[in-house]
Amino acid sequence: MAHSLLADAPGHIDLLLGNEAIVRGAVEAGLQVATCYPGTPSSEVPDTLFRLSPEARYSFEYSVNEKVALEVAGGATLAGALTLCTMKHVGVNVAADPLMTLCYTGTPGGLLLLSADDPGCHSSQNEQDNRYYARLAGMPVLEPSTAQEAKDMTRDGLLLSKKHGAPFMLRTTTRVNHLRGPVEFGPVPDPGKPDGFQRNPSKFVPIPAFSRPMHVALLERLEALRQEAENSPYNTVTGSGSLGIVCSSISRAYVADALAQSGLADRVKVLGLGFSHPLPETMCLDFLSSVSRLLVVEELEPILENDLRVLAQKNGLDVEILGKDVLPRCNEFTVSMVEDAICRLTGEAAPVRDACQPAALPMRPPNLCAGCPHRGSYFAARKVFGDDAIYSSDIGCYTLGLLPPLKAADFLLCMGSSISAGGGAALASGKTVLAFIGDSTYFHSGLTGVANAVFNKHDVLIVVLDNRTTAMTGHQPHPGVDKTILGDNDSRLDIEASLRGLGVTEVREVNPFNQKKTIAAFEELKTMKGVRALIAKEPCPLFTRRIYKKVAPQVAYVAESCTGRFECLDTLACPAMYRDGDHAAVNPILCNGCMLCLQVCGHIKAKKRGS
Amino acid sequence: MNDIKPIRIFMTGVGGQGTLTATTMLARTVLAAGLPVTSGEIHGMAQRGGVVESTVLIGCKSPKIGHGEADILLGFEPMETVRALPYLKRGGLVLSSTEFMPPLSVAMGKQACPSLDEIKTQVAACTDKAHYMNSQTIGIEAGAVQSGNIALLGALCATGALPFGPEALAATIKANLPAKLQAVNLKALELGVAALDA
Repeated sequence: MAHSLLADAPGHIDLLLGNEAIVRGAVEAGLQVATCYPGTPSSEVPDTLFRLSPEARYSFEYSVNEKVALEVAGGATLAGALTLCTMKHVGVNVAADPLMTLCYTGTPGGLLLLSADDPGCHSSQNEQDNRYYARLAGMPVLEPSTAQEAKDMTRDGLLLSKKHGAPFMLRTTTRVNHLRGPVEFGPVPDPGKPDGFQRNPSKFVPIPAFSRPMHVALLERLEALRQEAENSPYNTVTGSGSLGIVCSSISRAYVADALAQSGLADRVKVLGLGFSHPLPETMCLDFLSSVSRLLVVEELEPILENDLRVLAQKNGLDVEILGKDVLPRCNEFTVSMVEDAICRLTGEAAPVRDACQPAALPMRPPNLCAGCPHRGSYFAARKVFGDDAIYSSDIGCYTLGLLPPLKAADFLLCMGSSISAGGGAALASGKTVLAFIGDSTYFHSGLTGVANAVFNKHDVLIVVLDNRTTAMTGHQPHPGVDKTILGDNDSRLDIEASLRGLGVTEVREVNPFNQKKTIAAFEELKTMKGVRALIAKEPCPLFTRRIYKKVAPQVAYVAESCTGRFECLDTLACPAMYRDGDHAAVNPILCNGCMLCLQVCGHIKAKKRGS
Repeated sequence: MNDIKPIRIFMTGVGGQGTLTATTMLARTVLAAGLPVTSGEIHGMAQRGGVVESTVLIGCKSPKIGHGEADILLGFEPMETVRALPYLKRGGLVLSSTEFMPPLSVAMGKQACPSLDEIKTQVAACTDKAHYMNSQTIGIEAGAVQSGNIALLGALCATGALPFGPEALAATIKANLPAKLQAVNLKALELGVAALDA
């Protein structure tokens, strides 16, 4: 039986995660090709597409990075395939170069780009607002606020993209990706075969002579898409009153709930923009003309607000427009925040907000797991280099190494930056720099950093934290993995061979749980100059458990002879260990049997699991 | 949708406790009862032993609960119950586990957990409607520690605060969990309901 997300079951209602709804929408459009790079909050889209792929009618790949994902997607849509490409918001930075050009060439087969934004930085380094990218590139934007809309807008975005030959952006926020709600399914068509490639260099090769008319054509397409926005069912006017609200994305949900609970629904007129770019100007003008005051409710940047101010000014409208002077530009909104703003503008008293204020508690920051091999790598590096070296970090679980006691992250820019930024820090500081990079990130964008470091003779010690998977985002495959949930990886790339191929002559490989060998390797590499590398290779224990269904046969325990120095606790910060009165202790259920602690203290011993 | 009185349920626990499974079970139960439901979860770094927060909202469009908005707070760990108190409406309903999962700083002996009495005092400062149970122990008794969440959910259904009772949650468990997990979770549900009355 087909998986329910693939089944042709119109009218069926299921509770779906926003990201699952996006997959269903793509299937209902007749998806032919999907390319993705995982990243929270987008990751369940590729994970679901991958899991379904053996029985699905689309072609799917985890690309090595977002730029490559969008380039593969671009080639596919140029060859006539209905194509979905997904990434988190900062991934669009990586993919920005092909994105700009794809808006010029157009996308004959249809292309929807999912940009999963993260207001509030739940799992990201910034809260950039990618609606700017859509304006920079010239892309129409759909912004769902419910699971049903996530499904419907993905389907319609793909179909409209094909109709207009213009790439669409589906711009979500974390709340939308990770909400669950009921979704009514539509029919599933036979996706058939892609239309095929139609040679036309004047449209598809952006040399300057061709680019100029492409730009004109892009602006014409945007005007045609503006008409689509004017007539879109995702743009709605509800209610009546002299106060108007324009809202987009998840803010539409906050506004609806705020009006319902304040009882002010009959005094406020609301324009909800689900199809928010190009701005449906006629619709907005009509709306602006019908109210005396306008509040724009949008998280992050004042983008609609500024568009509407321009529209009002151009048309000489005398309407007061409020937005970021009433609601914040940082972080997420809440229903209460929106309700308070509406109350203020309607002259009603806002409800008294009197949230409970409990006393401070011990914090619960995330930590490297028990049995995480990164702990072994960091412990050895600290032992050899201490505070003398600079630790250039990268993006993955291993960023958590920044916390004490390991303190193995001094700076971080973006995916793949550890090696290149590490080289820069070394040449400017004259200090030894260790560049920590995970295996997945190495393939994402570490390779170019290696080539640059070798070519420019940087002095950097690369430490590839090779845990054989993409651990942080949920064990997605990358080119170096041995195995995935669907079986063996028969086109595996070798990290050591790639380092040597790029000109790194001094490469060592260790198991970071073998402290003696890891420390010896660091000591040796410390005496060298130039680009040299240590591959610290040991699978993520969660991955081993999930894919290989294996756990280590042994666990650690603290012998009676423990003298209560607690060096083990103080230097390893392993979540399986705790202080039990005057002794250290190991929780055998949490212990992953890595045996790192045995190498720190002689009073810690191994025993058979379960004994 | 306007004629349904909104109910906002905030759930909090520690990564690996099964908070998200419990959230989905409750959301599916609301859907099966024919009520408008939206649910939310924040994860990511949370898998690495951090805090996992989730929501189930009946009769609302938004999946998010802001400070002072939750009608019900379900804490799968007592310190997390207290940490999430700002989300609770004053006088709202609290159901909490009494069994601590010490964070690293406590395990290392650098900080101490508050006592259970201190936890209850903090909760009492916000509401007089609170129920406590040793849900992890109940989970172990039922057959799996993670099923302790279902015990707490079952107790919530039995308080009468939701528009359905524990039997509706039982039906969701039977319809959605694999056969081998059903018995454990149904047992946990039964024990949770009994613990509320105790």
